[in-house]
Amino acid sequence: MGTINSAFGVISGALDADQSALNVVANNVANANTAGYTEETPEWQQNSPITVNGVTIGEGVTETGATSQRDRVLEERLDQQQQLASASSTRLAALNQMQALFTPDSGSTSSTAGDIGSDITSFFDSFSSLESNPTDNALRENVLSTASTLAGDISSAAASLNSQRSAIDQDASGVAGQVNSLTSALAQVNQQIETTSPNADAGTLEDERQQDLSQLSQLIGINQATTGNNGLEITTTSGQLLVAGGQSYQLTTGAVNGVTDFFLGGTDITAGLMTGGGQLGGYLTARDQDIPNALSSLDQLANSISTSVNAANNSGTDLDGNEGTGTNSNGVTGSGETPLYIFNEPTQVAGSASAMSVTMTDPNQIATASFGDGTDDNSNAIAIYNLASGHIVNGQTPTDYYSNFVTSLGSTVSEVQTENTAQSASVTQLQTQNNALSSVNLNDEAAAMSTLESSYQAASQVFNMLNTVMTSALNLGIETSVS
Amino acid sequence: MRLIDSVSEAAGGPAGTNTTTPELKELVTEATHALARLDVARLEELALSCQALTQLPTPRTIEEREAFVRQARAARGEMAVFARVLEATRANLKVMERLRELRAGTAGYSERSDGCGRFSGRDLEGGHGNH
Repeated sequence: MGTINSAFGVISGALDADQSALNVVANNVANANTAGYTEETPEWQQNSPITVNGVTIGEGVTETGATSQRDRVLEERLDQQQQLASASSTRLAALNQMQALFTPDSGSTSSTAGDIGSDITSFFDSFSSLESNPTDNALRENVLSTASTLAGDISSAAASLNSQRSAIDQDASGVAGQVNSLTSALAQVNQQIETTSPNADAGTLEDERQQDLSQLSQLIGINQATTGNNGLEITTTSGQLLVAGGQSYQLTTGAVNGVTDFFLGGTDITAGLMTGGGQLGGYLTARDQDIPNALSSLDQLANSISTSVNAANNSGTDLDGNEGTGTNSNGVTGSGETPLYIFNEPTQVAGSASAMSVTMTDPNQIATASFGDGTDDNSNAIAIYNLASGHIVNGQTPTDYYSNFVTSLGSTVSEVQTENTAQSASVTQLQTQNNALSSVNLNDEAAAMSTLESSYQAASQVFNMLNTVMTSALNLGIETSVS
Repeated sequence: MRLIDSVSEAAGGPAGTNTTTPELKELVTEATHALARLDVARLEELALSCQALTQLPTPRTIEEREAFVRQARAARGEMAVFARVLEATRANLKVMERLRELRAGTAGYSERSDGCGRFSGRDLEGGHGNH
């Protein structure tokens, strides 16, 4: 409950602080006579009643649509929320694709990346079987077969991640062209507004500009500032100028370290775009953060299993009596001239997952015996089997490490899903407010503000009561687990 | 506190009844949706529902306790979303309040007014942001 309790803490504190600020004051609208406002008929939607303990509460209706009008402050807030929602939505799609890769497919007859967890278990279990009968050829073949499945699934997962990264890189690159088209259009309409309406609302031209801004916000994170003659200056969230008056500045792309980077005026602004929001921010977060993190975890897993198993097998004697070249736990070094490796021996952690494969072809080379104990000894097979419970991958067992990786990925997906849902809800709220503000009727505008305040207050009450219920449940859970 | 009458009731209700008590998870989801839509009437109905929940007797049997704890655990993700939406609403409300104040200011004595009764967007946008 740590996360939820933290959320409670933040929200509960904010609720207390905000109550005093929520006083309803008379609304004084200065721009009520601004031309170009439109009005439309609201739509209504039926809600279902709720029954608690036999008591039915509520048969309300919901207003689902209203009118539209321009208001710079509100629209800027809306643009900002759309940037965030668009970024999280894009990132979420990429994360879901990643998560699907590591989800076991119960309907599949062939092994996939989703089976890596069971592959690890099967591989080490094959040594458990072999140690009971170390000269059995079928059992030796089974060790190589499970090793091949494990290596194949890990390298296939890495290939899929690299392929996804390339596809995202292409998508991200395509966004630059869309951004440039929009900033060009914005510069053009900006200039028209500055020329024709430097001191007044520009009507449809401003509608057009706002529409372009809204689209641009869904592509990249932007900041906007109004200039003295009713123009707009638009920058990226990290401050690089995109539009100033009638001038637009074009994004360019270039390959850096195998991926597309983004430049403005010769400056690489990729890092700023990643954190800025919008679709491009989502793509870049997935490309430069989420996928590399997953690849890094797989590399670590592949590297640790390969090097540990190879080292153990190379410290024993195979069925043909050949010793490896390694040194065993007693400090004895084998007399062999070539190492007895099962997996392709990695030279570095990075890239280990992609390169993971089984290099051993002769099952007799599996070194089940210790140095000097003949060929039918099983002590080295037991040592290899024990690696399954050894903390060989960053201080964890291979199974635990992989399990934690998948759990961590799931948590990230869940976190981004939560962010996206909340941001989308915020956008919906703002669109409702924006629509309600479209009316020229001042009473309607005041009512819209009042609705927002009332909704917040009612939701705060619901939240506080749910908090009480959840806390009560948490306490019950502790009591239950103790008893 | 007793959250729902029984697990079986939650699953469909015993014979002779035609109503069910919503799972806590459903209530939280409904609250989130209502808040996103700014549906005051529905939120007030939900507040009454939640009030009824808090007034239910404490579960006494192990089954009731388990059902209660299970529901609360199942609702954790939805509560996190609700918390975030509430947080976003608070931020949206602040923006709207600021908008109202600015409009009120331009009608009277605001220093940010350009003198023609129209506020300067540069002034207000400079300090406003979400990043």
